[in-house]
Amino acid sequence: MIKNPTHPKKNNLKTKECKFTAAGIEYIDYKQTDTLEKFINDQGKILPRRVTGNSAKHQRQLATAIKRARFIGLLPYVAENIR
Amino acid sequence: MSDFYEVTYVLSPVLEEDETKKLVETVNGWIEAEGGKIEEVNEWGLKKFATPMEGKTNGYYVNMYFSGPGTVLPVLERQINIHDHILRHLALKFDAKMMRHRDLVKKGDLPTILEIEETESEEDAE
Repeated sequence: MIKNPTHPKKNNLKTKECKFTAAGIEYIDYKQTDTLEKFINDQGKILPRRVTGNSAKHQRQLATAIKRARFIGLLPYVAENIR
Repeated sequence: MSDFYEVTYVLSPVLEEDETKKLVETVNGWIEAEGGKIEEVNEWGLKKFATPMEGKTNGYYVNMYFSGPGTVLPVLERQINIHDHILRHLALKFDAKMMRHRDLVKKGDLPTILEIEETESEEDAE
């Protein structure tokens, strides 16, 4: 953490927590597209861990689930508006 | 020793209603012929694709669960790949983690992150 008391980010840093760990989710299903959609941006890209705060374990599972959903046609590879 | 599998496949939208029904039964027949036991078949119906596949913009989704010996899946996948009207399929073999997930789904008390998000957004508003 930042030790310098005059650092501009001193009081603004928020520790992010993994939502999947908090909810006690063990397996991320590719069929739950409403959950998966929260972790892709408007271009259809998977959001990085530094943005969402997911744990490494869940980020790997999430990436697999999103890729499966894309393959079967439930989620886009590239959003329609920029294709 | 039998394993548990999940298969989702997409049928061509050009098929008539009775042809679709027949094809789903044919797929079930392939599994049963190899000694598999079908547990659940969910037909999601016609859905629009997020990305076009093989020049089509929608397809008929079927999601199914079955258990069977290890010889079922290679035979099923070969038949599916040969068939012209099955556009795409996704087959998964379940491990212990996925089985526990399925038990929760069956019971209907699957934890979701959506509730957590709601409480968080309320806190932000304050």
